[in-house]
Amino acid sequence: MNNPRPYTPRTPRKFIGGYRPRIDGQEKASGKVKFVDDITLKSNYPDMLYAKVLRSPYAHAKIKSMDTSAAAALPGVRAILTYQDPEFASLRVTNAGWTDGVDTVSYDRMMWRHFRDRRVLGDHACWATDEVGAVVAAESEEIAEEALRLIKVEWEVLPFVLDPLEAMKPGAPIIHADISPNNILPKDIIGGEDVFVNRGNVDHAFAEADIVVEDTSIHHNATQASLDNWCCLVDWKDDKITVRSNSFEADQSRMHISEMLNIPIHKVRIISSYVGGQFGRGDTGDQPFFLFTALLSKKTGCPVKFRHTRRDSFHDSRQPAIYRGKMGARKDGTITAMQFKSIGNAGAYADHTMFALKFAPTEITEVALAHIPNIKMESYGVYTNKLPACMMRGVGNSQFNLIFGHMVDMLAEKLVMDPIDLAIKNFGHEWGSRPDKSLLAVLKEGAERIGWKSKRHKPGKYPGVKKQGVGFSFHPAWHAEWQEARRGEIQVGITLNTDCTVMLEAPTVETGTGSNTCNVLGCAEALSFLGITPSDILWPHVVDTETSLKDCVQTDSAVAYLQSEVIAHAARDLKIRLLEKAAKVMKQKIEDLDILEGNVFLKNSKRASMTVKELMNSGDLIPIVIRLGRAPNSEKTGVPYIATFAEVEVDTETGKVEVLKLVVLNDCGTVMFASGAEAQQIGGQCMGLGEALTEEIIYDEATGVPLNFNLIDYKIPTMADMPEIEPVLMEVWKGAGEYGACGIGEGTVTCTPRAVLNAIYNAIGVRINDIPIKPEKVLVALGKA
Amino acid sequence: MAKKLSSQNRNSVRIKINGNWREFSLGTDSSCEINPTMTLSYFLREKLGFTGLKVACNEGACGACTILMDGKTVLSCMMLAVQAEGHEVVTIEGLEKNDPVVEAFAQQCAPGYGTALQCGLCTPGFVMSAKALLKENPRPNIGEVKEALSGHICRCGCYSGVAQAVMHAGEKIANKGECHE
Repeated sequence: MNNPRPYTPRTPRKFIGGYRPRIDGQEKASGKVKFVDDITLKSNYPDMLYAKVLRSPYAHAKIKSMDTSAAAALPGVRAILTYQDPEFASLRVTNAGWTDGVDTVSYDRMMWRHFRDRRVLGDHACWATDEVGAVVAAESEEIAEEALRLIKVEWEVLPFVLDPLEAMKPGAPIIHADISPNNILPKDIIGGEDVFVNRGNVDHAFAEADIVVEDTSIHHNATQASLDNWCCLVDWKDDKITVRSNSFEADQSRMHISEMLNIPIHKVRIISSYVGGQFGRGDTGDQPFFLFTALLSKKTGCPVKFRHTRRDSFHDSRQPAIYRGKMGARKDGTITAMQFKSIGNAGAYADHTMFALKFAPTEITEVALAHIPNIKMESYGVYTNKLPACMMRGVGNSQFNLIFGHMVDMLAEKLVMDPIDLAIKNFGHEWGSRPDKSLLAVLKEGAERIGWKSKRHKPGKYPGVKKQGVGFSFHPAWHAEWQEARRGEIQVGITLNTDCTVMLEAPTVETGTGSNTCNVLGCAEALSFLGITPSDILWPHVVDTETSLKDCVQTDSAVAYLQSEVIAHAARDLKIRLLEKAAKVMKQKIEDLDILEGNVFLKNSKRASMTVKELMNSGDLIPIVIRLGRAPNSEKTGVPYIATFAEVEVDTETGKVEVLKLVVLNDCGTVMFASGAEAQQIGGQCMGLGEALTEEIIYDEATGVPLNFNLIDYKIPTMADMPEIEPVLMEVWKGAGEYGACGIGEGTVTCTPRAVLNAIYNAIGVRINDIPIKPEKVLVALGKA
Repeated sequence: MAKKLSSQNRNSVRIKINGNWREFSLGTDSSCEINPTMTLSYFLREKLGFTGLKVACNEGACGACTILMDGKTVLSCMMLAVQAEGHEVVTIEGLEKNDPVVEAFAQQCAPGYGTALQCGLCTPGFVMSAKALLKENPRPNIGEVKEALSGHICRCGCYSGVAQAVMHAGEKIANKGECHE
């Protein structure tokens, strides 16, 4: 068991940073929270219909013809639409990569506009279970499914390819000929050239280096597996569309539907409330199923519900990538050159492939690799007939860390140097000096907590059959406030009621991250002059584009502090309004007055003249309303560091890897809500460890059909699989704002697979670089299978 | 304790749900409240509105639909509604206000373990399994908690917080000398 050592806040504050329950703990623990599937029951929408979409049984195929007459004749079927109907044939081509969620974009400004490779409902199936051809609305899900079975489809079965290296070869089946003649995604304006980073001269630097290491790491398909399957209810009445869904981006969903269906923005209403886990899934509400559900609603005049089954919810995945890495250094441990080449398996549609392969590594280069004089990075995203690869918690960073931490570990071994010392010597960020205080603090603390000095031994030198070892990996955190500038204005509101209770407007779809608690704490902190506590503040859990301000999207793990920064400014405005009111009521000058702990003071007398409640009950009894929009502070402050240390035991007879302990360290800048932050640190390990050891989508190579789209064969760690996890919160670096925090949720996943792999190497002395590390791979590596 | 003799009436199903015996019409006609192919989870959610239990996998792999039947946990997605005939079913809506297990999950913030929930979708299932565990074993150790709750998936990964909450709930119940479900 842990011996918890709570962190000590750098700046003691009243509410921010504390260990306390979540604001929604009671509602969630008692099952009272309603998710979209709970709200959209037939009893609430008596005329509701259910939609189902045809799915391709083939990995790659085209629909030659279709006969829906038998399906249409089935009692209970209310509408069938096919790819040939004008409703779909007239829609523009699109993709599910409109935005990474940071900014709201229109069709013309979508992030990956070079890769518009999806039809809302088309005739070209690009992976087995692709949603194509026909949609049905019926009185029950069973009838809708039966109707799909009755649709006679003549398929032209096409050759398929699953492996990106095969897909790049001449003669491979071409998947989106109009976008790429060779399956390799062309350069685009966001991702850049194939060689997207080229600093100094790596060839020259490698030739001059005393030590050079080179190796490969492979990151497989893992899926987000949010337990809350995709679900939406669309009601298109007259000229207005109302959508309830578990998309985590209300404003962008509205833009998507408005632009794709050509409906004015004010006639599209999006309502979202609690979402049962997001993790980057299908990023931004730009999924085609919103549109076909809407068109079925229009056709039938009824609200239509569409939801995925668990099998359907294997809908996108982490971008799998094969990384080749090379690092060169002088004998003294100065790293002089780095080279990375990656080949990413985009799967059937490009979506955010180039975010993972180019965008994220470019950001890392700007911060963590600032002091490396020669760097070259090159990436190729390749279409195949696999599950599309999209956003997943720590997008691009997890894949990059797998090779980055690998190179650091290898290089240190060759240099006969502690990898911790090698890291501290070489990495930091552009706006700070080395050794970087944050990196130093994180690695020293991690080393102490895992017992690095006593447990780290020469690779493979642990005695016996069951061999233990320790390893770590580190990464720059994201995102600091300056990195969020692209969001533009962040909008919040504070309404002060006459009894001194507060209605907070900090719209964001609650996906579990805990940012709602952060914002209530931030609001209470900023309003501490009123003498109120978090329980005096109402946080509305519904985002409704008809009444809410623009929602701040749960991406980059940044909402936890971004809204609080703006709330701090709004609170100052509120104080000014109160002082103005007090000056009038008390017939004093504003500059002579102050407010502390709920009392209005004459500054020179220090005696309370009246309470804020009394003040608010003077005059018209109208609440004070402050609404404020403010762009993130763009002052470049660099970023702090994160790290994971792992201790493992490898059974060299069976190949089983047991993780004994993980230490997860985050320099947060400022801890906004300690219990929530720890939950992110601990919780991320379910995904990080799953990806390292067990989670993988398996395909039948002969047919291209995925075999384990279920939670029995796709192995997510349960409580029994998880080791002791020690979460370590730190405050070393600081950003620009009132709190100067950074996001932590995504990063908690990033370093885990590499930390475990380095620990396995330390244990057995053989490197296995292809995750997940299943027992058979260990036995093969040990020459036993 | 439940098991009442089932009524011989094949046109109805009697189930004690959250404390009350109720009778539901049975048949293949869509006007019937229960049809023979309906899962218990579907019936409880879609027909009765007990949405605390969730259907996340619908094949017994995730534990989100866990409820109590005659005091023991069952996966309601793996049972037919008709199989509940004559039994006592408790969903999370049937727990008492201030239930110590619910409170322990809601309030978990002991340093070092995070919270016991994030998105909250899996939580009612965990709570129901914890109820059953604590009835059998009021003061479980960490190994026993892990074993008892390993049929549940929490994708947010709040397993440490869940374990703490269950052990705290056990302590709380023992200290109060409270009798629970």
